[in-house]
Amino acid sequence: MAASSRSARVLSKIFHGHYLTAAAGWHQGLPTRLIHTDPVSASPHAAITVTEEPDTLYQSLSVLVKGHDKAVLDSYEFFVTLAANELGLNLEKVHEPHRSIDKLTVLKSVHIFKKHRVQYEMRTHYRNFQFSRVTGSSAQVYLEYIQRNLPEGVAMEVTKTAIERIPEHIQKPMWDNNDTVKTATPQLESEELEKCT
Amino acid sequence: MAASIYLPMLEYFMYYLYQAVVPRTVKMAEDQDWTAVYPTAASFKPSAVPLPIRMGYPLKGGVSPDKQGNLELIKIPNFLHLTPAAIKKHCEALKPFLTEWPSALDSDEKCTEHFPIQVQTKDFVSSGASLRNPNARIVTMKVPLSSLNLDDHARKKIIKLAKERYCEETDTLTLVTDSCPLKQQNYDHAMYLLTVLYHESWKMEAWEEDKAREDMEEYEWQDSPSQRNVVELLERTKGTEERKKDLLSQPEVQEYKDAIVIMKNHGETEENLLRYKEAVKKLYNI
Repeated sequence: MAASSRSARVLSKIFHGHYLTAAAGWHQGLPTRLIHTDPVSASPHAAITVTEEPDTLYQSLSVLVKGHDKAVLDSYEFFVTLAANELGLNLEKVHEPHRSIDKLTVLKSVHIFKKHRVQYEMRTHYRNFQFSRVTGSSAQVYLEYIQRNLPEGVAMEVTKTAIERIPEHIQKPMWDNNDTVKTATPQLESEELEKCT
Repeated sequence: MAASIYLPMLEYFMYYLYQAVVPRTVKMAEDQDWTAVYPTAASFKPSAVPLPIRMGYPLKGGVSPDKQGNLELIKIPNFLHLTPAAIKKHCEALKPFLTEWPSALDSDEKCTEHFPIQVQTKDFVSSGASLRNPNARIVTMKVPLSSLNLDDHARKKIIKLAKERYCEETDTLTLVTDSCPLKQQNYDHAMYLLTVLYHESWKMEAWEEDKAREDMEEYEWQDSPSQRNVVELLERTKGTEERKKDLLSQPEVQEYKDAIVIMKNHGETEENLLRYKEAVKKLYNI
């Protein structure tokens, strides 16, 4: 047995390139290489650049989610509210607009039997999240995170209200009040009419 | 000797057999990292979720079917990849990319004061044959006219040009553009319309000088028949020694003027009529 165990160790060195022992090779009943480890995340701070371009400002951000299953929307609401709280976005209001039902009545049979029909309905449930005073970068990041984790069969509609300053070309009038602009007078129209006839 | 060569192969075979027969839930520790089990959205795997879940219409015995081979559990979307711990991890990674809202703009009034223009757009996310949604190109631009640099003539002209796009109650001009295929184009178009409206309203056309009393938007008491009547009345009662200016500067005349102007511009209400009655009585010294 000693000879066989020693030869087993030699064979393991040939196959793996090192001596496979119980402690090193196996961890909790699984080989080390098969255990899932967290991928080491490189610090993202080096990758962030701050540009000179001014950030857009959103006075309000309204996210409306639509789905056929109310339980799915409840879970999604929990996810959205927790994420908003963690990231420090001010979630003003979460409310549930009333569901809408689309009904459809069709004939039950392929041919004749007009009195026998079948009714189908599509129920759409809604959930509305109202955010206020969010910057453009934050909105972009948060919305992308939310949208990537949108469950199957759920649609989203985002209404953004951005606020801006009055641009430079609207701040002062181009024309002075004293100069009156001469435009086409009614006399010209009658001249054109004469030409036509 | 032959048996010793096959020993590591037997070990591996036993290991893989063990994997197939015993589910992963048996080997899970209670303090394991759940984000490692469900790092991304995945369908429900009964051998990987250590919960005794039952779902579906009850069987003949009276209980819902077990999780093993249960299609109902696979069909519905699960949030096993979005546990609170996982969400917190994601948020920690996302925090450096967020920016703070400027602390000086803490109320809506301040926002409107410094940033009067409001641009409303919509984005849509849904699954279907096409990614596009035609309503995503619509841009709504709202501007309060009080924030624009307009004089009296320009203000009246811009309201006339805008017609139903101007709301009197909120004093906002609303421009809705959807004629271009892209959102950016529609935004540029809205900004262009605003620029044109602004500059055109400051222009004074030659034919605008022909504006008569009937074209005025509001009732003006100056040089109106009402003013002439009052002047005539006062001249007859008080004599012709006092000038017109002095007659008009009397407080009773001013009160009468206010009552008339309010009645003509805002309509006749009980309050307005009472004021008019009082003003007339004072004029006649009743």
